[in-house]
Amino acid sequence: MCRVLAYLGDPISLEHVLFETDSSLVRQSYSPRMMAAFLNLAGFGMVAWDPRSVHADDPFTYRVTTLPAFDRNLHALASKLAPTCLVAHVRGITYSHREMIAEANLHPFRFGGASVALAHNGHLREFARMRYDLISHVRPELAQKIEGTTDSEWIYALVLSQLADPFGVPEPDELAGAAVSTLRLLREVRGRHGIDTSSPVNLCLTTGHALVATRFSFDYGWYPDEDELLETDLPYVSLWYTVGGEYVERDGESAMTASDTPRSLLVASEPLTVDTSTWLEVPEYSMITAVRTAAGLDFETLDLDV
Amino acid sequence: MFDVGGVEGNGRTDAVAFLATVPLLDGVPPATLEALARVLRRRDVAAGEVIWHEGDEAEAMLLVVDGRVSVSLRLPGDRAVEVSAVGPGEVLGEVPLLDGGRHSATARASEPTSLLSLSRADFAALVSGRHPTAFALKRRIAGVACVRLRHQLAGLAASLGGSEAAEVAIAAPADLEFCGAPNSAYVRRFATFRAFDSLALWGFLTAGRFARCPAGRTLVAEGSRAPACYLTINGAVEKVIVRGGRRIRVGLAGPGQAFGYESLIDGEPSPVTAATRERTLLLVLPQEAFERLFNGETNISHVFLDVINRDLMAALRQALRPHARLASLH
Repeated sequence: MCRVLAYLGDPISLEHVLFETDSSLVRQSYSPRMMAAFLNLAGFGMVAWDPRSVHADDPFTYRVTTLPAFDRNLHALASKLAPTCLVAHVRGITYSHREMIAEANLHPFRFGGASVALAHNGHLREFARMRYDLISHVRPELAQKIEGTTDSEWIYALVLSQLADPFGVPEPDELAGAAVSTLRLLREVRGRHGIDTSSPVNLCLTTGHALVATRFSFDYGWYPDEDELLETDLPYVSLWYTVGGEYVERDGESAMTASDTPRSLLVASEPLTVDTSTWLEVPEYSMITAVRTAAGLDFETLDLDV
Repeated sequence: MFDVGGVEGNGRTDAVAFLATVPLLDGVPPATLEALARVLRRRDVAAGEVIWHEGDEAEAMLLVVDGRVSVSLRLPGDRAVEVSAVGPGEVLGEVPLLDGGRHSATARASEPTSLLSLSRADFAALVSGRHPTAFALKRRIAGVACVRLRHQLAGLAASLGGSEAAEVAIAAPADLEFCGAPNSAYVRRFATFRAFDSLALWGFLTAGRFARCPAGRTLVAEGSRAPACYLTINGAVEKVIVRGGRRIRVGLAGPGQAFGYESLIDGEPSPVTAATRERTLLLVLPQEAFERLFNGETNISHVFLDVINRDLMAALRQALRPHARLASLH
């Protein structure tokens, strides 16, 4: 299980959210507060959009399998960046010889030429049994771009395959629809293979202009006898958000400032501060969608009927 | 105004007389109230003073003697919403003392207020024993928590507007597909049961029957008395409030969490509708079995009352989530 952070809104200090808050994303790699079983030490990745940068539609991309807490390059870069859209991820895997730590397995995934990026917190149990059934639902030009060994990259390829143009810039509704269609497809394939144990699929998708995040699990509450992930310790894979003017530190507290209309949205597997009182939980079986507009930010929470 | 905490004579007598009027302590014998008065500490707070902040470690439960305390949640964007107001005779801060969590909301005196404070250790000593007073207190805690939960849920229902809850057909316990018990090692992994004695847990798990239920089946209907108390073993059950086409999920009972007990505790109709979101394996405790465990004074009842009270505390915390989300939209 991993930790993910997604953001859309006014320029935000990357250093602040990755390193400085008392439960920042990088701290969550070695000291997560809402997961007991293991750490998130299998690599760090991010995509970050800055409209003032060269080729503003392309994000700044960074992926590394080393520990982000000791990554001086990342810290130095983060201190100079203030993106308007961000997805960052610290990867957590079970302690097993079967797992592979490699750059190709790091989130967020963003195939060359595509505008959509995806990070995943969760796992598809018995993915090896599903993989070859999924291939028929992935467009060939996308299937050949899969480089790694993760279930998450296949989910990404499935999401792109649901879009009218996988290499275009989808409207928020189309992006949300692709996420829902992908979950339905996964349910169908799981059903065909008789896979009926818990598989959380918290997805963060973005184009740089719109953000979609799901809090969802297949067959929540059913675990295999040998549950390596000790999911009974995780009531339902967590997802939180905070919304407001801008996310800054004032009087020693990091929080969203007041705003008549929301301008910025932060979504994270767990709050970026030990004090969670300025964060709200995304409801289970639901999806947040957000898009930047001239007036600020349009965002809503929708039930996921999958 | 009386004084306590080492003060002898009339002050303590007044305190005992006050404690006898507190609904939470209804039925507690005078000798226990006298002992309680000895360990209570008086605290006076000025209007506007914060008693504790949301997220603070919980050190004590408070009884309001006079005055008023506003209980509020922080919201993103430097805002807050009041979720309740607590007045004389009511208690404050019992949730984290029962579930081990932190304060779920900020408490601030809205006028000059006098409080009596019961420390975490003294509270634990009061409810952790196997003596009749401890059992009576646990039952009273359940009753008071039910009242508070109903108040919170009624507020959420009102926010939906519209008429009363529509009638829905439920799957009666007798219609469920009964089956064998689950692996006890699996059940023991639930946070709810880890601290419990094996024999007491066994007694609890054999007090009802296990049953499978497909997804999408309504087991408890808002506005009707629940036919049984249920404990989710596998799967998940949504607790919802529905008005017309609008719906709020106020809780999700996953493995180790119970539902349907409110009306069995206080005799009132269920405040929520409970329906299986996933296919589910349940422990079904019909009303008679529930009452035997709830009103008993055995080790099994001790376990059962703790399960119900922890679940009620979780339900109170869960019901705050939609409250905060809805308030943040306005």
